[in-house]
Amino acid sequence: MKTLQLLRRRRALLNCAPFSNDQLADRSMRSAVSRADGSDEFVNQQNFDRAVAALVRLVPIPPESAEWFSEKDLVAGSKWTWKKMVRNPAVLAISIAVVVIAGVFVLQLLGRLNDFPGSATARRLLAVAASTRPVMLDPVSTEAGTLSDLFFMKHGLEHYDVPDEFADFGTIGCRVFDDEESRRIAQIWLAEKRMQLFLFPADRNMKTGAVLHFPGWRYVHQEGWVGAVTERSGVCFMAALRGGDKELQQYISKPKE
Amino acid sequence: MLGDSHKAQEVFHTTLREAALGAAQGQLPKEPFWLFREARWRCLEATKTDLKPESLEIDEHEIAPGAPLQIEQLDPAQLAIWISTAPDPQRTALALFYLDEFDYREILDIAELKLSALSRCLAKGRRQLQAWLDAKHPEQRKL
Repeated sequence: MKTLQLLRRRRALLNCAPFSNDQLADRSMRSAVSRADGSDEFVNQQNFDRAVAALVRLVPIPPESAEWFSEKDLVAGSKWTWKKMVRNPAVLAISIAVVVIAGVFVLQLLGRLNDFPGSATARRLLAVAASTRPVMLDPVSTEAGTLSDLFFMKHGLEHYDVPDEFADFGTIGCRVFDDEESRRIAQIWLAEKRMQLFLFPADRNMKTGAVLHFPGWRYVHQEGWVGAVTERSGVCFMAALRGGDKELQQYISKPKE
Repeated sequence: MLGDSHKAQEVFHTTLREAALGAAQGQLPKEPFWLFREARWRCLEATKTDLKPESLEIDEHEIAPGAPLQIEQLDPAQLAIWISTAPDPQRTALALFYLDEFDYREILDIAELKLSALSRCLAKGRRQLQAWLDAKHPEQRKL
C-alpha cells in the first residue's frame, strides 16, 4: 500500500518536474527525476516543456508593463563603504569597547612588566606614607644610618639597614609597626624633602621559603607618591616622597661622598 | 492567464496599485507570494464575465517525440490564448509552470493546490496541447 502511494507521489512529482536544472531545489524532486532520467517518456515531456516555455517567453508583454520588469534597479541599493560602516552606531560602540579593553589590558601588562617581588607591599606602604602625620612617629633626631642598631636592639629586626645613599640624612622620627600580614615594618621620617623611608621583609618563595631577590632600584607609584625600592639581605628598603621618579633618582645616582 | 494583453495590463496595474496603497498605510503583505496570488484572483475575476467556450470533451494525445517541432510552428499569441481558455485551476497551473519562474512548491502555494491536483492539471494540459498540435500540424508528429 505504501509502495503504491510512493509510486503515485513519484509520478505526480515527475509531472511537475522542472525543465531547467536550476529549479531542482527539492530533494524528493531530485530523487524522482534521477530515477526517471533517461526514460523516453520523461525525455519527451522535458523536451515538450522546454519548447512550450521557449514559446511562452516570446509572448509579447505590453510596453507599459514591460518597463516594470526593467533590468535596471529602480532604487539604487545603498553602497557599502568603510566610512559608512565606521559611522554605524553598533560598529562605533564595539570599536570603543575594544579600544577601552585593549587600553586596560596594555596598562595592566605595563604594570606587570614593572612588577617585582614586594611591589604590592611597596604600593601599600606608599598609601601609608601619604596618610602618616609626624605625630604618629616617635621623635628621633639622628642620622638615618644609625637607626639600624635601634631596630635591632629594640625590636630584634636584623638587616633593617638604611642604604648608604640615604644613611646620612637627618631624621625627624621613626616607628615600627605590623602590617595586615603581621610583617614588621620600620618607618623613618627624614627632614630632607619630608621623605619617608620604609624597611620591610622581602617576599619569599611560597614553596621553598627562599628570598625573592631583584637587582638594583625599582620604582613604584601610588596616589602621587613615588617609591624607589631595593632589596638587601632579605629586607626591602623603600625611599618614598610625593612627586616623580626624577626627584628620587637624584639621590640614588648621587655618588657617595 | 487572460489571453488579452490589455486586460493583463489592467490587472497588473490594479494589483500593483493595491500593493502600493497597502504599503503606504503600513500594511505590507506577510506572505511572499501575495502579489501573484492577488493577480491570479483578479485574472479569474476578469474572465468571469467573458464569453466562455463550450465545455466539451477535448481530445488528449500522448506527447510525441516531434512535439517541439510542432510547438515551434505556433504563434506565441496563439499559445497564450490556448492557455487562457483552459478551465481553472489548469489555466493557473500551466501559466505559472511555463513561466519557468517558480518551482512546484511555489506554484502549489500561489495556486492553492495540492501536488496531486497540480500533477493532474499539468499532465492533462500537456496531452490536450499535444492533441491540439496534432490537429494543427499533423505532419510534424513523428520525427
